[in-house]
Amino acid sequence: MKDYLATIVKNEKIAENIYAVTFLLEEDCKARCGQFGNISVGGTHLLRRPIAICKVEGREVTFCYQVKGEGTQKLKTMGAGMRSRILLPLGNGFYIPENEQKIALVGGGVGVFPLISVLREYGKTKEISAYIGYRNQGAVCGVEEFEKATKFIAVTDDGSYGEKMNAVQAFAKDLAMGNRPDVVLACGPTPMLRALKALVEAENLPCYVSLEERMGCGIGACLVCVCDMTNGQKARVCKDGPVFNVKEVVL
Amino acid sequence: MANLSVKLCGIELKNPVIAASGTFGFGREFNELYDIGEIGGVSTKGLTLEPRLGNPVPRIAESRGVILNAVGLQNPGVEHFIEHDLEWLKSTGTCVIANVAGKTLEDYERICARLDGLVDMIELNISCPNVKSGGMAFGIQPKSVEEVTRYASSALKRTPLIVKLSPNVESIAENAKAAERGGASAISLINTLTGMAIDIERRRPIIANNTGGVSGAGVKPIAVRMVYEASQAVQIPVIGMGGITCAEDAIEFLMAGATAVQVGTANFTDPYAMPKIIQGLNDWCDRHNIKNVSELTGTLTLNGR
Repeated sequence: MKDYLATIVKNEKIAENIYAVTFLLEEDCKARCGQFGNISVGGTHLLRRPIAICKVEGREVTFCYQVKGEGTQKLKTMGAGMRSRILLPLGNGFYIPENEQKIALVGGGVGVFPLISVLREYGKTKEISAYIGYRNQGAVCGVEEFEKATKFIAVTDDGSYGEKMNAVQAFAKDLAMGNRPDVVLACGPTPMLRALKALVEAENLPCYVSLEERMGCGIGACLVCVCDMTNGQKARVCKDGPVFNVKEVVL
Repeated sequence: MANLSVKLCGIELKNPVIAASGTFGFGREFNELYDIGEIGGVSTKGLTLEPRLGNPVPRIAESRGVILNAVGLQNPGVEHFIEHDLEWLKSTGTCVIANVAGKTLEDYERICARLDGLVDMIELNISCPNVKSGGMAFGIQPKSVEEVTRYASSALKRTPLIVKLSPNVESIAENAKAAERGGASAISLINTLTGMAIDIERRRPIIANNTGGVSGAGVKPIAVRMVYEASQAVQIPVIGMGGITCAEDAIEFLMAGATAVQVGTANFTDPYAMPKIIQGLNDWCDRHNIKNVSELTGTLTLNGR
């Protein structure tokens, strides 16, 4: 973990309301898939924006974000050459044991981007099937990355791109056809994760989910971004997560 | 090199910059970024006798120049702190200030008795705006401020007591005097101001608790004014806080009457805020030929005098 001085290389729209920003860091950074950075957007914004790392190569790191509030609105306006501070890498990230060969990625909405980082880290050594749900055709992004997976099934809520269903339904359909992974990695809206939790519990499949929560410090000190654990305790999404065994968290 | 050390309740701090309670945990996470032994002190996450799980999420929101939080005193309990974190925190060399809260007068008395002699100072949180049982009820009226301070101070034989005052009151000066009468060795202020931020699409407050404590750069002028008024009202030392982001902000508080300062929200904006403030204090003193930072305390002259 280091607070890097970062210079924007490019910051461009990749889908409806979704942008990809690439920073050049002052020095090399190593990050695991599923980790995130806490990005300063400056001005009157006292909180940094925690955003999943999409890819990191040497000194270059790319984040994809949805423009939602004033902070991401500000980030959108920051052009090449502008400087920022990014604390990274943060959080635990996804980890896949060596004996687990067949990986299913289930993602929806902005949850697709941390899954791209999984594909980049494990794409060459594991058999990866990606089940990705988008709102509609305009929201489709990351296709060129997901097409590198062993299997890529894209679906939309309205059927304007791929079949009309959500990512969990797409995964369930493939599962019913006998395509059973060793482990499921997922990220997306809470209702999607809830549906997935029910499915993997019924199927007795190991599953890890990456959670999102409003954060303060991003490093585990302030206890702002907690989630409920099934053992009755709280876990810090930024430090103990953002990736949790789905069995251990209450969604 | 200016001398940045300050004396607070008979204890020498390396410098007057203290991490504010709730933004710094017990220091372990920030110690991964820099040696927290370099900062003047750490006021711990608010401790209660029993572990607490805190409020539902979302616990934080942002508004221009400020943030709102309602964590609700989530903490592992005082025994867990003593067993797992205290020795480590002391070993860093920083001044250890245990921030404590309770539901009843007896809670305050018991937690102070438990920590007496174990920590360098105790900071009494009687002003948490985010939980019904967080002591806010004690922090409003001068009479109850005095009473809870008396309960706490009577339980302390060795450790100095700081009373953290709420800004959500009628007269900060009266509450400061009440804490002094109750036996406080120092006062700290301001805790957060109660506020609300609304998600207009959902027509609901962003924070699950509906209201939250407002802190950050935007509250600084209010805090400076209150630190000035409180320091005029009492003889005991004052620890100032509220929106301190840089060394110049800290100097305002010192001039207004503070002996030391606390930094909270700025740790989120820049995790290195405190080391930078300490360096900045040194540089400012050097530029102004000030040998001891303690010379700045209370040097404000009001206009028209």
